[in-house]
Amino acid sequence: MKVLATYNIKGGVGKTSTAVNLAYLSAREGRRTLLWDLDPQAAATYLFRVRPRVKGGSHALVTRSWPLDAALKATDFDNLDLLPADFSYRNMDLDLDDTKKRTRRLGKLLSSVADDYDTVFLDCPPSVSLVSENVLHASDTLLVPLIPATLSLRTLDQLTRFVADSEGSRPEIVAFFSMADRRKRLHRDVIDTIPRDGTRIADTVIPSLAIIEQMAERRAPVSAFAPASRAALCYEQLWAEVRPS
Amino acid sequence: MTSAIRALQPPQGESLRLESMVHALSGRYVVVAGASRRVRRRRLDTFDRRLGCDGLALEHRNVATGERLVLSRADGSPTVTVTAEDLRWPALASALPPGPVRDAIAPVTGIRALMVVSDERRRIQSLALQNQDGKTVARVELDAPASPASAVPTEVTLYPLRGYDASARRAAALLTGAGLLPLARAAPPARPRPKLHGDDPSTVLLTTVLGGFLEAMGENLPGLLNDVDTEFLHDFRVAVRRTRSVLKLGRPALPQVMRSRWEPAFKWLGDLTTPVRDLDVYELDLPRLEGWLVSADAADLDAFATHLRIRRTAERRTLVRALRSTRYRRLVIEWGEELSLLASTPHHQTPGVEQQEPLSAGQLGSRCISRAHRRVARGGAAIGADSPAGDLHALRKRCKELRYALEVFAPVIDAAAGKRVIGDLKDLQDVLGRFQDSEVQRQALRGFAEEMMVDGTPAAAVLAMGELIGHLDLEQDRARREFDVAFARLERPSSLHLMHRLGGVT
Ligand SMILES: Nc1ncnc2c1ncn2[C@@H]1O[C@H](COP(=O)(O)OP(=O)(O)OP(=O)(O)O)[C@@H](O)[C@H]1O
Ligand SMILES: [Mg+2]
Repeated sequence: MKVLATYNIKGGVGKTSTAVNLAYLSAREGRRTLLWDLDPQAAATYLFRVRPRVKGGSHALVTRSWPLDAALKATDFDNLDLLPADFSYRNMDLDLDDTKKRTRRLGKLLSSVADDYDTVFLDCPPSVSLVSENVLHASDTLLVPLIPATLSLRTLDQLTRFVADSEGSRPEIVAFFSMADRRKRLHRDVIDTIPRDGTRIADTVIPSLAIIEQMAERRAPVSAFAPASRAALCYEQLWAEVRPS
Repeated sequence: MTSAIRALQPPQGESLRLESMVHALSGRYVVVAGASRRVRRRRLDTFDRRLGCDGLALEHRNVATGERLVLSRADGSPTVTVTAEDLRWPALASALPPGPVRDAIAPVTGIRALMVVSDERRRIQSLALQNQDGKTVARVELDAPASPASAVPTEVTLYPLRGYDASARRAAALLTGAGLLPLARAAPPARPRPKLHGDDPSTVLLTTVLGGFLEAMGENLPGLLNDVDTEFLHDFRVAVRRTRSVLKLGRPALPQVMRSRWEPAFKWLGDLTTPVRDLDVYELDLPRLEGWLVSADAADLDAFATHLRIRRTAERRTLVRALRSTRYRRLVIEWGEELSLLASTPHHQTPGVEQQEPLSAGQLGSRCISRAHRRVARGGAAIGADSPAGDLHALRKRCKELRYALEVFAPVIDAAAGKRVIGDLKDLQDVLGRFQDSEVQRQALRGFAEEMMVDGTPAAAVLAMGELIGHLDLEQDRARREFDVAFARLERPSSLHLMHRLGGVT
């Protein structure tokens, strides 16, 4: 089982859109895939038309009063399951804080379904929290969407240093440009000049495309409702770059 | 836990109308019909139906968009679909594209190849049942034959989705409410097993079991000839070997022709199939042998593997030619006739032998078992610390005879006692088998190595085989040391008591 997380401290950068589309592509290839929506806003849950309701809420999940697989929901797509978020997830930090090994809890929970899935995606809320620390430990790969602006490069530096300083197994970081607009000079400059010798930067750039915003109305991955669109092709390319072998 | 997939069908003789199904469901769900698809559907399984027995169903589907493998499980866990190209059957699971389907199948099919067990053109109509959010909460599939002549009638399958069990239950209730019935899958026709009694004439029992072996030979022949997998030959040989044992055991009750004609005929057949089987065993064993290597590298055995391949190809040619010959065809036909003749005249008389009551199956059984057991007991007691390997080999054969006697007469002896003796006997046979196999393999490896040296094989390959021979020495020693315990278990009082109940100790 390989775990990939879409992660960025900043909000609105394309974490959820990426997680939803890559998870869909992974499942379409025949990998048994799980997407865990960790964000109390439940955007990924909404996009798959699943109701944001988890039996017993975050507390029951984290303390294991309910097994993880009781909360799983099949999506409308073969091989793709969702672990939905609900509003109780806003307290997940507190719930985690009460447990033993509080920074490894989510990884531990995931290991209970390790035989059932080949690929797991974690869609993280935009924050630095105990949840995000758990995510760092549980993941093999952190996918970091970057809006091509100077500030976001700083955030990436901070994250890289944070991961490097943490103990135990560390995820690989793969950053990629998201919502890029080639018409904007700044975007072009940042993309063309970013140093390629440090943190891995994916070759694929996800441009800013209106059809990606349409996911909210269509409530489906863009790769499912517009498989031939440029957006879908970009996600396919990105997936080919980061796909676990 | 997701509830199981439900298979339903219309009542017999009634046709199924899509509209009435949709009508029944649409009170509760938004029913979205997918496009109707034509599918060529090949069901796959091993010859001995390993997937089916394990609750798995594997299909190779050709649809408009390409080919795919679809694996579903009877427990209702999600169906796995992978796209695939250029699949040819039969094939071992290892020939499938890597991924979840192969991972799930390979441990179940093991060394048996996947074959096409049915091949049909179907028209499939799927319905998604959605809730108010437009979320699919269950799927229904209507699977109808594409031509009216099909043997497999229309089926309706309800697929529950993980986390939406209640919806699946509700949908099932709606469908059964509309008149659908649980599908009664035609079980594979069980081989009719005639009831046998201890006081039936022994020839009835003998012809029944011999007929069963003949049938097994016939069933395995096509797979053997086409080299589908190694087990066809193996099972074919088991049937031949058992036939030979039964002919031997049954001598007191069988006509003279069995001894003069049929025993040699089956010996011919047994010997004919030995070389390929031996080579198969080495090939199947290669991974294990590789694990034994300490100083040599696994790759050093590549030359050996190639040598085996070449030899096998040559030996198979001989075998296939013989099994396609008139001699073999005649053997099978006339043996069948012989058995029918024997079955229709159970009270045969051996010319020149004084007329007497024919032996009953029970009598023959206890006589054979007791004789075979005496031979095992005597042979085993005579084994000492420095008995030559040949003595242990002879004992192994006697154990086999006893084992066959217990199995052949199983229908007319005390079943529980028979099972337990077989259990003890198995351990002893296992020890003797390992002893003997190590002996034989050691010699064979030496022979192979010599052949390979003549062909100019590099020294590393021969050295690696030397290492294997050393390991076999150790294996043989170990088996030899385990012998005393295994034999004592068979001869302990409680086992002898069981043998007594079977008529084996007199
Ligand atoms: N490449 C893109 N082009 C245009 N719009 C995009 C693109 N990616 C995402 N969006 C839109 O931007 C918004 C934020 O995207 P998304 O929800 O994927 O980001 P996020 O990082 O998960 O946000 P949050 O931090 O709130 O969880 C959404 O409305 C989405 O449709
Ligand atoms: Mg998000």
